[in-house]
Amino acid sequence: MSTAPDVLEARITELRAAVRRAVSGGDRRAARELRAELRQAESDWDDAVLGEGAGGLSGADALEAGPEEAVHVRDTGSSGLGRGEAARPSGAGSAELSVVGDTRASGSSRRGMLPVREQVHQALTLLGAPAAPKLIGSVYSAFFPGEVAGTRLTSLRRDEERSFRTAPYARPYYLCAALTADLLAPARGMLTVSTWPLEQRIAGPLSPRTDFLTAAIRVAEHAGRGGARPAASVQRLLWRFASNIPGAATGTVGTVDPADLMEAARAELDVHREADARQRARAAERARAQLDDAERLFGSRLRAMRRAAGDGRAGGPGPAPGGPTASVRSATHGEDER
Amino acid sequence: MTDTAPDLDRLRGGTPPRNHDARTIAALTSNPGCARRGVMDAAGVDKDSVARHLGFASPFGQSQFAITRGNVFEAQVKAEGCAELITLLRDRLGLAVPEVAYDDLEVVAGNEGRELRHARTRRLIARALESGEGTLFDHPLLRLDIAGQAAYLEPDVIAFQFEGRFHIIEIKSFAVIDGQAEPEQVAAAARQSAVYVLALRRLMGELGHDPGRVSHEVFLVCPENFSNRPTATPLDVRPQLAVLERQLARLTRIDTILDALPDDLSFEPGEDLAEAVRAVDARYAPDCMASCEMAFYCRDEARACGATGALGRSVRDDLGGVDSVGTALALADGSLDPSADLAETAAQLRTAARLRSEALDGAA
Repeated sequence: MSTAPDVLEARITELRAAVRRAVSGGDRRAARELRAELRQAESDWDDAVLGEGAGGLSGADALEAGPEEAVHVRDTGSSGLGRGEAARPSGAGSAELSVVGDTRASGSSRRGMLPVREQVHQALTLLGAPAAPKLIGSVYSAFFPGEVAGTRLTSLRRDEERSFRTAPYARPYYLCAALTADLLAPARGMLTVSTWPLEQRIAGPLSPRTDFLTAAIRVAEHAGRGGARPAASVQRLLWRFASNIPGAATGTVGTVDPADLMEAARAELDVHREADARQRARAAERARAQLDDAERLFGSRLRAMRRAAGDGRAGGPGPAPGGPTASVRSATHGEDER
Repeated sequence: MTDTAPDLDRLRGGTPPRNHDARTIAALTSNPGCARRGVMDAAGVDKDSVARHLGFASPFGQSQFAITRGNVFEAQVKAEGCAELITLLRDRLGLAVPEVAYDDLEVVAGNEGRELRHARTRRLIARALESGEGTLFDHPLLRLDIAGQAAYLEPDVIAFQFEGRFHIIEIKSFAVIDGQAEPEQVAAAARQSAVYVLALRRLMGELGHDPGRVSHEVFLVCPENFSNRPTATPLDVRPQLAVLERQLARLTRIDTILDALPDDLSFEPGEDLAEAVRAVDARYAPDCMASCEMAFYCRDEARACGATGALGRSVRDDLGGVDSVGTALALADGSLDPSADLAETAAQLRTAARLRSEALDGAA
């Protein structure tokens, strides 16, 4: 804590080089020790720059960190690329090391220190509603340091599903799908967090709108905290919401008062809430009755619905192997209950 | 209508039929007099491969940039449960605040099968007709019977229910500047939308409801001025609908064209392909270039035999009855005596020729 970040950074660089040398020299024991030191140094650096408890990096912390620190985070992020590389040449030489390299590398791109799944988790926690990758990206870049790598988002849900199926509940949370209210299938392009109540993860016909309004309220709440005038990127985000909610854009074009936005969004949300909640509750009930754990998180697909779980469900959408008639029949299940 | 099906299958020569989309159906209406296109489309012949086989591959296609631009704009308008679109509709139409339901029909539970999607479209639309439930239906998969063959329409539209009536919303990425858009683009969009309106009306009919519940007014959502902000323009597609209906009715009488053709005609790639294509009359006009894969072949043919149509549709209409450029020139310089029905055209041609020679003499 007392050490200056500059000194720590120099030490981190040194240690990285040492780890690489040890790995290429085949000295696995030394490599392990050095890596432990490296991790300690990195965590010291986190504490020194981001303050206590930076591991969690809650939204408020990141906000307080402000632009200056954000730059720092990006800086180490870029050198973090080296971290991933350091692990890679080890290849088969050290399986353990390459695993670490793998998980780390996901977060250590230029865009920030955190793995993508954690970035997405933070953004989703802030939004409190299922969201499309694009919105997640803009929320993250508005409120957190760094950016979410858009390309990594595309495979995220599939990776999470694979991980869950090989070792269920091994992680504290999973990024999973929103379920369509009628067929309990994964809704296209929507991400949610597994720890949310099932109702929150259902997407009925009204849900895109209520989710949009919920997100607007949460974003406005977050932006309004502290009382200072929101940053430009936050303003842009607020405007995106406000311009599409009646009565929310009160000021001049492009500027939004978070309080007004919140009030307008709440007013419209009141109109839809009840009907939407009813649909969600019904669908959630059905999901609990019909689906197994994995399907409850990642949605049931028509294809291979009753088949062995191992036949590559995670392979992404594709034509149903079961003929169209079979699919049509199963497609109707639950439809009437809407 | 169905008894032509074996003939059409033979014409296609063993390959699976190509499905129509709104583009091809709309293109049909732009040149209703072309028997070649009519027959080939009715049979679902892969015109592109036929043209390629004849050595007239069309080197163009839609620009990749245009496609990307279109997709990006559409995604923007539809983001977050069609937030921007809903704002627009509230502004322009006074859509009530509770009307925000959005149903995505593009994928049914991770499955993109057409029968499945169509079945779901039917079900949701039937429900909407009965209970008024649902507002926006994204990417409904519609079906239209064309010459006895069900064509699925891969739609890029949203069906929108407003006070018990359905509208088609077409999202296009060409700009509307100061209330004006490129007329050609608008016309193309109107022709395509008309196809969807018609298909949706047929669906209403099948479901036992009044087809009139699908409005002839479609909404064109385009970027406004030089910004990326969407704006909605109502577009009356009644004329396009009339043309389309007439053309489709004509298409189902394709048997009359077929009767005039030799019995063993087939467009299967092979040595006789050129012969087979020539056996069916084409009606080439320069506009064909924009919409028909066979255009290069037909243009070549039209130029080779000096057809007046190659000079443009208006020239052909002005020269009504005079088929070839050679005849027109002969009439103009008086080397050919016109028959009685061409006397008026011939007189006009002579006048034009005289004016031209005077003008050229004056210049010299």
